[in-house]
Amino acid sequence: MHELPLEGIRVADFCHVWAGPHVTQWLAVMGAEVIKIESHLRPDLTRSFFAGGKTLMPGLNQSVDFAVLNYSKKGCTINMTLPRGIELAKEIISLSDVVTENFGGPVMDRWGLGYPDLKKLRGDIILYSGSGFGRTGPYKESPAYAPIIDAFAGLTSLNGYSGGEPCPFGVGGWTDLTAAQHGAFAILAALHHRYRTGEGQHIDLSMSEVDCAFLPDAVMDYTMNDRVQRPQGNRDIAMAPHGCYRCQGEDNWVTIAVSTDEEWKAFCNAVGNPEWANDERFRDGPSRWRNQDELDQLIQGWTRNHTDWQAAGLLQEAGVMAGPSLSPQAVVQDRHLAEREFFFDMEHPEMGTVRLPRLPLNMNHSPFGKYEHAPSIGEHNDYVFRELLKMAEEEIAQLQEEQVIF
Amino acid sequence: MGALSDLKVVEWGEFISGPYCAKLLADLGAEVIKVEKPGCGDRSRSYGPFPKDLPHTEKSGLFLYLNTNKLGVTLDWASVTGAEILRELITQADILIENHSPREVEELGFHYDTLSKANPGLVMTSITPFGQSGPYRDYRACDLVSFHISGLAHMNPSGGVDDIEEEPPLRGKSLQADFLAGLSGGIATMSAVFARRATGQGRHVDLSQHEALASVIRRDLGAATYEGLERIRVKGAQPSTETLLGQCKDGQFFVVCNTDRFWANWVEVMGNPEWADTELFQNRAARRENWDAAKIMIEEWAKDQSLDELVRAAQARRVPCMPVNTVRESANSEQLAARDYFAEVDREQMGRVRFPGAPYKLSQTPWQVARPAPLLGEHNEEVLCGRLGYTEQDLAIMRVEGVI
Repeated sequence: MHELPLEGIRVADFCHVWAGPHVTQWLAVMGAEVIKIESHLRPDLTRSFFAGGKTLMPGLNQSVDFAVLNYSKKGCTINMTLPRGIELAKEIISLSDVVTENFGGPVMDRWGLGYPDLKKLRGDIILYSGSGFGRTGPYKESPAYAPIIDAFAGLTSLNGYSGGEPCPFGVGGWTDLTAAQHGAFAILAALHHRYRTGEGQHIDLSMSEVDCAFLPDAVMDYTMNDRVQRPQGNRDIAMAPHGCYRCQGEDNWVTIAVSTDEEWKAFCNAVGNPEWANDERFRDGPSRWRNQDELDQLIQGWTRNHTDWQAAGLLQEAGVMAGPSLSPQAVVQDRHLAEREFFFDMEHPEMGTVRLPRLPLNMNHSPFGKYEHAPSIGEHNDYVFRELLKMAEEEIAQLQEEQVIF
Repeated sequence: MGALSDLKVVEWGEFISGPYCAKLLADLGAEVIKVEKPGCGDRSRSYGPFPKDLPHTEKSGLFLYLNTNKLGVTLDWASVTGAEILRELITQADILIENHSPREVEELGFHYDTLSKANPGLVMTSITPFGQSGPYRDYRACDLVSFHISGLAHMNPSGGVDDIEEEPPLRGKSLQADFLAGLSGGIATMSAVFARRATGQGRHVDLSQHEALASVIRRDLGAATYEGLERIRVKGAQPSTETLLGQCKDGQFFVVCNTDRFWANWVEVMGNPEWADTELFQNRAARRENWDAAKIMIEEWAKDQSLDELVRAAQARRVPCMPVNTVRESANSEQLAARDYFAEVDREQMGRVRFPGAPYKLSQTPWQVARPAPLLGEHNEEVLCGRLGYTEQDLAIMRVEGVI
């Protein structure tokens, strides 16, 4: 299978940091030519981000934080503070199907690149605008970071241990990447519509609205019953046992969930305590849920004598939902992900060979998509200005000297 | 006209991941026929929330939200006739979305290889906890198990815990892992629809929830492989985020102070207290080192402040700061009202119901609710008689036999 879904599609990409670039990462892996437009005056911030495992690396091309979100794209530099730079951007846009941006305010409008302006360059253009709160409304230019968005949307209030206080959601990138995926879907829908009708459009995505889209149960408990839900943590509204239990070894934990009486019986047999199935306290779902504090203690008495994988393996064999609770560093060693070829080796001119996660695109039994190295800053200037825009070498040299191509 | 109104979809799934994937398509105009078991239907019908907490098959909030814009039929796909009808529906469709276990799909005879013989253009999206292959293929999982095994719970809550012996890794809000699987499935489905354009040949899309979740923490995975970083859950093991979830006298706020400018402006919000003007907090490195001390001082000040005033003052100075809203505050927020974000629908037996609306605004082909979620079997006649040519009498017999 060789045809890539978005072969022949070109994207003029002004996105930066995390939420924006993940959108165009999907498009690039699906075969689109994504031209990431940066500047030495304003390189993508993530080029300077390091998690702290290594000391600060020199230059702008060695950040894995950048690479893991920007692989498979092309990179060029344009100084957008100069009118000639904006002209160059317009030329690229005229040759593009999609324009993407996630600025915190009306930067595109200020550059004369708002949707009405883009339509004049290309009538069927699709513009994607991502932001924390949307391009309209009183918060449209509010500073937007994931934990701020989560706090506003109500997600933070629902994150915490069962019966405990809200605490910030620690999954770095969750809010950015779920928003980005909705963005990628919307762009594909817009492209589909364009294929059928020739009509482009403007997509306005608010990360806070995406957060709410995943909370319908909590929202509707309020709109229907005027009830405000609190954190459930590792527990469930109905299932018990349902939680995360201490195992043997340092910081070693297993999750277990039992959803039916049949599973409960199988669980009791698997852990060598068939008598629990006849215990009044645990005889059915509601009883188990009511008595789950005691139940959890009993279960932990068993799990403490097994490692996470031992416990999970025994329980899975009995048909019970269970699994280890893993760290990111354990996930990169996971044998299932290895067999699925979820990781690939990115060969990068400065970073060398870097093992990185793909996107979850798998078709007809194998991983699918275009996987190339992340661009060094300005790496594809020659391709963009000489080949695409067909500019003469002298003109390019002149523009570099004037710091327009910069 | 919806952006996807030419697409015909059969959804053969339940709970969240399959239905959310199909909802993405339905809400942009695709025709989605949702196939449910007769009698109890999709198990999200028993999840709730329910008005006044009274369980009812037609009044579950989660079901109503996930299944807007879909046609609903009932089929016992384990019966000969039921399976035949399901196969007919699939043969007429562009896309099949299903989230059954790989084993069950094989046992029922609905493998992609079989279905694509009758419909070579079929895009079949299978959403499962671990994918169609590999050592964990037949492992059973739910939202909790998936969230933890993919590495996400290890980093929650943000900043770590005091006692890693007593405080387990923490799942976030419930159901997030299941929603995410549906979302990634939606993109993968459209990707296959595009791939089909050149040759007319469909695809089997294998969406592994495990991979979808691991993909979301890609930055941490990259840091592990490239920088050798090991995430430890002990509080203080990670560099400070220079953020604070703080308590006012009438609510909680969240503030981000991770630049010199944000910090300087935040100090102004606090009225330029003397304590902020010391070596301990004079630059980012110092503030990261001493953030615990800064938090204590900020919290001492914040406890007497009004939440509303504090947030306004911070925002006026463009410091990233928001109240920690519950769904009550977000449902009533000015911003979401200005955006016309919440959707409302009149639903038989439920009256008017309000729920989250469009996760994106498309200028020419807007998201919309053309019809509420279907009643159980609501469109049996329309679909089985109208499209497949069965008669009313056929349906009467099927009902008696429990096929529909």
